[in-house]
Amino acid sequence: MSDHGGPGHGLAARVRHVEALLERHGLVDATELDRALEAFLSRASPANGARVVARAWLDEGFRARLLADASAALPELGLSMGGGIQEQRLKVVANTETTHNVIVCTLCSCYPISLLGPSPTWYKSESYRSRVVRDPRGVLREFGCMPGPDVEITVWDATAESRYMVLPRRPAGTAGHSEAELAGLVTRNGLIGVADV
Amino acid sequence: MSRINDVGGMEGFPLAGQELNEPPFHADWEAHVFAMNAALIRRGCYNLDEFRDAIERMPPQQYLAASYYERWFHAITALLVEKGVLTAQEVSGD
Amino acid sequence: MTERFRPGDRVLTSRADPVHHTRLPRYARGAAGTVLELEGRYPLPDDRSRGLPAEPEPVYAVRFRAAELFGAGDHQVTLALWESYLRPLPEEAARGE
Repeated sequence: MSDHGGPGHGLAARVRHVEALLERHGLVDATELDRALEAFLSRASPANGARVVARAWLDEGFRARLLADASAALPELGLSMGGGIQEQRLKVVANTETTHNVIVCTLCSCYPISLLGPSPTWYKSESYRSRVVRDPRGVLREFGCMPGPDVEITVWDATAESRYMVLPRRPAGTAGHSEAELAGLVTRNGLIGVADV
Repeated sequence: MSRINDVGGMEGFPLAGQELNEPPFHADWEAHVFAMNAALIRRGCYNLDEFRDAIERMPPQQYLAASYYERWFHAITALLVEKGVLTAQEVSGD
Repeated sequence: MTERFRPGDRVLTSRADPVHHTRLPRYARGAAGTVLELEGRYPLPDDRSRGLPAEPEPVYAVRFRAAELFGAGDHQVTLALWESYLRPLPEEAARGE
């Protein structure tokens, strides 16, 4: 990562300045910041969500436990929602033949970052946040996702401490796939609900 | 008094495109703002609700013009000054 | 503290227009919804953001029909709402459905 010129350039210097001030005041430690960042980025990514989904597709018991209490089920895969500022409750919502779920945080950008890493920029945009609660079908269509007319769309607005993740439907023609192959089919967009998988 | 962040159901925002293979942060400073916020909250300088509140109190035009982590940085510095941790002068570097 | 609402209860969200930080979006004010489940107990952000003492209170997943929120749409929107944002739906309105 480098700091390009342009609008962000002045910001880089201002951020460095404030960080240096905070260090001088003994409130942050630059080395510790780097270490925490490194740890977070290595631990949190959409691949974690993909693993959870693949396991749920293969193991009915895990799927049931996941839907009942996702935070409690994560450790079965060596995963957790901890490591962030405050541990949030994960709620996994399953797509079915008649229901398609999509996640948003209209008020800011809440997202299960401890598990999946930072959200995509479009998820944080005013455009997405304003439109998906009002016209989810229109927004999904723009992402190339078109649930059928008998499929009801449920939008989850992360207004409190729960962080939501979609359990997409297992694609047809995947019988005999290994767990790793199944995980490879799951995209971040599928976990947010703007893609089928 | 709804704030500018409360956009659910609002009309007229420009579409945001998807970036292929988007990195977690687009610049070092963004990552540092992210880490700084976590450290300051853990330290008890302010809480997460105060942080969200500080973002929401940005004047609407400033909020909309600012990128995501610019908003975070604005909130962090505003809170640090409001709470007397840093002075406005220190922050602006005068 | 025991929670005021149970899954299946019909609730009405506050119409209040607070001057402070809140986590009830404008689009969901004064709307009738159905409680899905208790999500947990957390201190009210309206108070925490102002440095006021805040004991944990129940937060519920509450489902609303799009038509109720926007007057149009065939989808549903589920929000996670603090008990302080909710009232029982008046029985007359509930009976009329």
